[in-house]
Amino acid sequence: MANKPSTPKSPSPATGSFWQRNRRELTFLILFVVILGGSFTLISLNWVNDHAVEPFTAGIAKMSGGVLRLMGQNVTMAGTVIRNPRFAVNIRNGCNGVEAMLIFIAAVLAFPASWKSRLTGLALGILAIQVVNLVRVVALFLTGVYFPKIFDTSHTVIWQTIVILCGVLLWIFWANRFATPPASEPAT
Amino acid sequence: MTTAKSSPRSWGLQLVLNALLWVIPVALVWLLATPVYNRFLLGSAENLVRLTESPNMTNLLRKDDHFAYVQRRDFPPSKSLVHSFRVTDVHFHLLMLGVLFLAVPRVPWRRKLENLGWAVLITIFFDILLIFFYVKFAYATQLGAWSLEHYGAFSRNFWGLGKHLLDLPFKFSLPFLLWAGFYVKDLMAEIRPRE
Repeated sequence: MANKPSTPKSPSPATGSFWQRNRRELTFLILFVVILGGSFTLISLNWVNDHAVEPFTAGIAKMSGGVLRLMGQNVTMAGTVIRNPRFAVNIRNGCNGVEAMLIFIAAVLAFPASWKSRLTGLALGILAIQVVNLVRVVALFLTGVYFPKIFDTSHTVIWQTIVILCGVLLWIFWANRFATPPASEPAT
Repeated sequence: MTTAKSSPRSWGLQLVLNALLWVIPVALVWLLATPVYNRFLLGSAENLVRLTESPNMTNLLRKDDHFAYVQRRDFPPSKSLVHSFRVTDVHFHLLMLGVLFLAVPRVPWRRKLENLGWAVLITIFFDILLIFFYVKFAYATQLGAWSLEHYGAFSRNFWGLGKHLLDLPFKFSLPFLLWAGFYVKDLMAEIRPRE
């Protein structure tokens, strides 16, 4: 019976340590948490809030006000506030789509994919999230005008869920369909 | 995954479609459970807060089905309700969690429900911790001279930043993070390089 020459074996994915077996998944989760925590810490700084987030939010208010005017609402905009004689909303953090965008951006950047896939995903995903957010602001304003009793629930529960879920589902769809692995990444 | 590999398009698309179908049933269950869960959260968070104070001074009082007051017993009765918050806002991410976990295609129901159970358990602990941070944040930063007297600059920043990070990014992303923890392997297994 001939003996096979023994060669040093590298641990197979099934028998390696927990880290070795789940390296790609754990790297994704750690990177996601780090990017997300870092970006939210960044936007919590007053300077960033005043010079980036507030102007961005004011832009959303302006655009939402424009859509409401097209729908026949007699609204005026001032900074992040949209008002008409019956109702007014002040768009704050949490309602400007920035949270959903940052979750989406962190997930796209953390996921193993080529930069081309990432950049395409970021551009289309951010656009889609902002379109959904525009619908949210317009719908919430109309809810406040015509159905004020359900404004609170609609504001904090229904639309938050829709916008964040939209961002997550967009990411899953992107990761599954468009996130081409980098050339060095072996196919699974 | 126990089944044969499907085309990369269909897994993600199937998940998105399943998620849309699960939104209404999960929302109904969440709505029905909310009053009971709010009571449970307030009781648990009150106990957690009291672990950090001696003698016990904090009460978390229900205002109605959705709101709660933070009451300090060492304050004059007219000023004892020092803070209020909407408890229901703490846990609406359970809705997202349920939808995401139930929507995963081609996973046996037993595994799906087991994973959902673990994720819900982790989320419950997170929700209790978040209310704890709400209370500490209020004590450290919202009570004027009393806050300045009892909390130093580091503490105020710690509770402030902690509440900000838990209340926005981690509350919003927790369902996704848990989903990714359980299912990103399945997702990655579905991805193949383009021809």
